[in-house]
Amino acid sequence: MAATIIGGLLQGGVFALLALGFALVYRVTGVVNLCQGAFCVLGALSMYTLEQTLGWPAALAATGAVVLTTLFGALLGLATFVPALNRLPNSSMLMLTAGLLTLVEGLVLIFWGSQPFNLPAFSGEAPVQIFGLRVATQAFWIVGVVAVVVCLLWYLLTRTMIGKQLRACAENPMAARLMGINVTLMSTLSFSLAAMIGAIGGIVLAPITSLQFDSGTFFTISGFIAVAIGGMGSFVGAIVGGLILGVAEQFAAGYISSLFSNGIAVILLLVALMFRPNGLFGVGGSRRVDVRDEQQVHLGIVRIQNGPAVTLSTAIVLLLAVLPWTGWFDSILPSLIITGILFIGVLGLDVLMGFAGQVSLGQGAFMAIGGYAAAILAVQYDWPPLMGVLAGIVLSLACSMGLSLVTMRLRGIYLALATLAFAMLVDSLITGWMDLTGGPSGLVGIPALSVGGYDFATPFSMYYLVLALGVVLVLLLTGLMRSSFGRALKAIRADQLAAAALDINIGRYKMAAFAISAVFASISGSLFAFNFHYLAPDMVGIPRSLEMVTMLVVGGEGMLVGPLVGVALLTLLPEVFQPLALYKTLAEGILLVMTFQYCPAGLAGLTIKQLHDVFEWFAARKHISPRITQEDLR
Amino acid sequence: MIGPALVVANISKRFGGVTAISDVSFEVPRGCLTALIGPNGAGKTTLFNLVTNLFPWTSGDILFNGASLKGSSSRQIAALGLTRTFQTARVFPRMTVLENVLVGGHRHVRSHPIAQALWLPSARRDEMQLQARAEEFLELAGLTRYCHEPATDLPMGSQKMLEVVRALMTTPQLLLLDEPAAGLNDSETAELAALLCAIRDCGVTIMLVEHNMSLVMSIADQVIVLDVGCIIASGNPKEIRRDSRVIAAYMGNDGGQTCA
Repeated sequence: MAATIIGGLLQGGVFALLALGFALVYRVTGVVNLCQGAFCVLGALSMYTLEQTLGWPAALAATGAVVLTTLFGALLGLATFVPALNRLPNSSMLMLTAGLLTLVEGLVLIFWGSQPFNLPAFSGEAPVQIFGLRVATQAFWIVGVVAVVVCLLWYLLTRTMIGKQLRACAENPMAARLMGINVTLMSTLSFSLAAMIGAIGGIVLAPITSLQFDSGTFFTISGFIAVAIGGMGSFVGAIVGGLILGVAEQFAAGYISSLFSNGIAVILLLVALMFRPNGLFGVGGSRRVDVRDEQQVHLGIVRIQNGPAVTLSTAIVLLLAVLPWTGWFDSILPSLIITGILFIGVLGLDVLMGFAGQVSLGQGAFMAIGGYAAAILAVQYDWPPLMGVLAGIVLSLACSMGLSLVTMRLRGIYLALATLAFAMLVDSLITGWMDLTGGPSGLVGIPALSVGGYDFATPFSMYYLVLALGVVLVLLLTGLMRSSFGRALKAIRADQLAAAALDINIGRYKMAAFAISAVFASISGSLFAFNFHYLAPDMVGIPRSLEMVTMLVVGGEGMLVGPLVGVALLTLLPEVFQPLALYKTLAEGILLVMTFQYCPAGLAGLTIKQLHDVFEWFAARKHISPRITQEDLR
Repeated sequence: MIGPALVVANISKRFGGVTAISDVSFEVPRGCLTALIGPNGAGKTTLFNLVTNLFPWTSGDILFNGASLKGSSSRQIAALGLTRTFQTARVFPRMTVLENVLVGGHRHVRSHPIAQALWLPSARRDEMQLQARAEEFLELAGLTRYCHEPATDLPMGSQKMLEVVRALMTTPQLLLLDEPAAGLNDSETAELAALLCAIRDCGVTIMLVEHNMSLVMSIADQVIVLDVGCIIASGNPKEIRRDSRVIAAYMGNDGGQTCA
């Protein structure tokens, strides 16, 4: 009992540090920085290299690791995060930080590989006896370091000029800028400080927990849950939330099952969101609502005229239909099928993100539900595959409805985080529920999809099935998006208050968009299972969710053709460049960040715009005499 | 229906210790254009936001067509036929002018989303009718040539007009306009005045908050003057122009000169 509490407080202390990092960046920039957890891993692994490989003394190695991580954080912030602050709306900033998380994880993967790392305890492994309890010496380090960091941060924020400036940026960046405060510097500073806090947390925790390249996601989610429980932007809340979360997780792991230690965190989060949306120590006041305050990106409108759109899409479909017959693509036919299957999932995400403007970081969870429902029913209960697909759809619908009901009253960003937490819950359930799902090693022996006695057993038949399904779904969505339903979604994305004033039921539309995205993901997950005859948690885990977001953004959101471009690019390119597979994660992170930076309309949007400009130019040339054109060119 | 469209009865609003609106009562007669004027900080926009329930009032009641609006959400109020515009034009970015107006007609769409997804003829017919009406309104406001432009590319004056047209597409019984002429030049203001008169003549009751005196005086049927949260005068434009309290509120107490 006491040991559990102590263990919980230790874990909680580190969560509290992470939560402080979140709170700091959120207070100064108004953005939830999902990259936070990655700095933990980066800090701990840098220390490992400095101490174990280069043989530096522990204290020097720790200092070096913190300095390196902070510098890296500052550079990363200055190059990506801070310049984007003025241009991107909050929901895109959230995805940008998710991209940064992927980017850092990709870097760690390249430098340190995928094996887990463990640091030796700072003061030896022998535990100390206190009141009959054996306590690891590392515990004192954790408690001490957390206390020191908290005190220093409190001093910095409340007792120094820099603290005043940081807080001014939080309250009103525009006014702060007019007062002569360097908002860019302050944003960078908060981002680097958060990186530093993250690195310190990672370093003190590493001796009692093993870390690997993708542990960052776990830390990010835990830190976020802690800060959401405590109250977004409240420092006291961050600490209390972290401790509560740590103790709750240890109790769940100790008394129920380690399977549910992630689950309990998510349940705590959902309960907190439901009953105290502002958290225990939340700072929420009424603000003026009739004046628009969210930054809007003026992308212009990228759209193809009806005529060319029909021609173009018919051409694409015909091309895809004859492709397998040429025989040239046999080697990449499996990749083409995967492209098609993922396209369906990302298409659903496009409805939710591109049209309704709601970010989901848990699309993979619905793929998992669809995939595992169909697979388990087929393997263990001998259901016909189609019924399994239907069961997956129903289950996904139910989950999406439940999640929407919980998050409906909350501001946009919370849906994204609730979906991330939900993805984590699903992930821990399928990993832990060994008898049903086969655990981490996956579920084998899934039959081929069969409809009315016909088995889609060959890649050839599967290809046409996916193609046909893709075409049908695109047609349905086209009908929906060009009518009042699609316009209502776009209006909600653009301006909720104005949409509500025009009698648009925002809650219902968001729910519908979320349901559509869940159903599409579920179908895509089922197809995944039947295509590979095998399903493992990492095929539909959180990295998959983030990858789908990347595909959508890189391809171009808000257009139905965008997902096709994004999925094809990120699925087929790694196939062609097999030897570079190690760099895939890093490349995805960089692509996402660069797209936000340089081409917010996505590749499809950019292409259409360029083509449009070329046509305009040709059209203009026809009407102008050659002499004048030549003059113009000079 | 008989009786006034909107009744505001003894409404008060306090923000902490500040009384923004104190014990205000007035009626908006059906089919008329009522203007709410007053110096900066008089509480005009606050009053507007109370009517559309962007925040709850402290005491009193607001009745629309005889029914209280207490506790209704912005959307429910819109569903009753009371549509508002905003002080800063809030056209939907990333949508064309025509699409913006079509969104306004949202509540009249009868076809189910499933019918829309299946491209059923009924849904397409619905869409065509909506589009025809939208084009008619755009014509009325003189915005037809911008039809397929992105709404945010329009000059400010046209954006304001667009917002009025969009609100009109909901077929409101009462149109609440928050400073429609703010940021407009003289010719744009004249176009707006013509549009508002045309709308009123179609039988739509209008209430607007406005700073532009010449606009208010030329088109309003009834003027209500608000100063520091209280009504100091109301009546037709002629009466208001002569009212000493109004002059004092605008020119300062010792001014004594006649205002425009």
